[in-house]
Amino acid sequence: MAGRRQRGPAFAAALAFVLAAGAANACERPQGWTGGGKIVGKTWTVRWQSAPAAIPVGAHFSLRFRLCGPPVARVKVRGWMPDHRHGMNYRAAVTLAGPTGAVRGLLFHMPGRWQLVFDIAGAAGREKLVAETVLE
Amino acid sequence: MTDIVRLILVAFCMQWAVAALPAGAVDFTAAETRKILRHGPWPQTATPDPSNRVSGNPAAIAFGRVLFFDTRLSASGSVSCATCHRPDAGWTDGRARSRGQRAVDRNALSLFNLRFNRWFGWDGAQDTLWAQNLRPLLDRREMGIGAAGAARLVRGDRTLSCRYRLAFGVAPGPDVERVFVDLGKALAAFLETLVTGRTPFDDFRDALARNDAAGRARYPDAAKRGLRLFVGRGNCAFCHFGPAFANGEFADAGVPHFAGSGRADPGRFGGIRKLRKSSYTLLGRFNDDPARTTAVKTRHVRLAHSNFGEFRVPGLRNAALTAPYMHAGSLKTLADVVRHYSTLDEERLHAGGERILRRLDLSAREQADLVAFLESLTEAEPRRESAAKPGTSPCR
Repeated sequence: MAGRRQRGPAFAAALAFVLAAGAANACERPQGWTGGGKIVGKTWTVRWQSAPAAIPVGAHFSLRFRLCGPPVARVKVRGWMPDHRHGMNYRAAVTLAGPTGAVRGLLFHMPGRWQLVFDIAGAAGREKLVAETVLE
Repeated sequence: MTDIVRLILVAFCMQWAVAALPAGAVDFTAAETRKILRHGPWPQTATPDPSNRVSGNPAAIAFGRVLFFDTRLSASGSVSCATCHRPDAGWTDGRARSRGQRAVDRNALSLFNLRFNRWFGWDGAQDTLWAQNLRPLLDRREMGIGAAGAARLVRGDRTLSCRYRLAFGVAPGPDVERVFVDLGKALAAFLETLVTGRTPFDDFRDALARNDAAGRARYPDAAKRGLRLFVGRGNCAFCHFGPAFANGEFADAGVPHFAGSGRADPGRFGGIRKLRKSSYTLLGRFNDDPARTTAVKTRHVRLAHSNFGEFRVPGLRNAALTAPYMHAGSLKTLADVVRHYSTLDEERLHAGGERILRRLDLSAREQADLVAFLESLTEAEPRRESAAKPGTSPCR
């Protein structure tokens, strides 16, 4: 019994993780969202959409996102130019409300290849999800 | 078919294909064309600054113009804004390091196209044009009249007081700082009008956009070759981006940032720190926009060690009129600027900084081509201004 009791929660946790992972992979686009992107990680999947829809060069833009997967404690969002080895000159602020969030203060200040980086942390661990975009 | 016949046919087809292209179409690839088109159209649509309630107001523009040329706005009574920003010298003063009441550490930036800036000054310590105008009034090396002195001058002078009332709808009140900031806002309304006109580059760029072969052909070949370097191998357009040829941010351009006698000019690093201490920002009580719609940059700007020695990326329109160049005027001509990037000492750049600048090793002709392109960003007839321009104000 004790063994079963021990195996029960473990099995439930494993099942929850598998289901969450499945849900993360599915992660449908929320209704009304157009454009944006989807990044599939091992633990989490993120759906994101920028405003304006086309990320501008040299002007502030914002994001909204939806995370699919286990509960999240903290999300940071930043930009990075791997070819130039620099990020943004601004620190974006993330507001989390359950699995959805909003990001303000993003600015990609030059054309070229940018990475949009989501640093996610929760009880399930940490994960870095990266989307790439080339701005002209 | 013999080889000779095949060769003749191929040559004929190639000749036909080239002849079918409009003149100049072979100059730029599709990717280069897309990059070139980003530098226009010009002039840009301009909207009033919501943080300045008199932005675009004709009475404020006229008031700002009067203030700009008024030497009484300095503690010594001998220095006006126009001392360091001469209309006949591209709104700069031709000196390497500028001199107001005393010498300063930096070159006087030109005043062209300021309304399109995100940050102001070489270090971006101000987030609005009106706040930027207050800085020299407070700095004893420049004009140094101070907030109380400036407010006293306006309140005590019948003409200035009348112009203030026309611009702001009320007489200058007892709140010294309010009157002081309003002077900055009237000056900003005037400076917003200093937008450069069309240039040979703009004519070429628009001809490229509408596929006008004759229009493209009028642009000199040297400028075309320089433009190709600018958007390509030179990597210039990473920072000198968009219609104003500036991305609104800051960069380490590999020039020495010593300010003399062992002092270093901290550049953007010092600018952000000053911004955070200032009460004249978009986050303060003098922002006329209750919604703070333009304050996002000020809320989110990030201070990093790599900001040390970074200076504002200046716009390049009319740059040929604004020598010398760089934050301390260390380069005398546009040819010197191009040579600087061609022979760049990469050791001078931040070791942990960004990797954009590279020694370009341009040939003499390539350097001349880049200068030809930069000169093509000059408007044919820059606007003339002088203190003596007659006004139609009822204030006498």
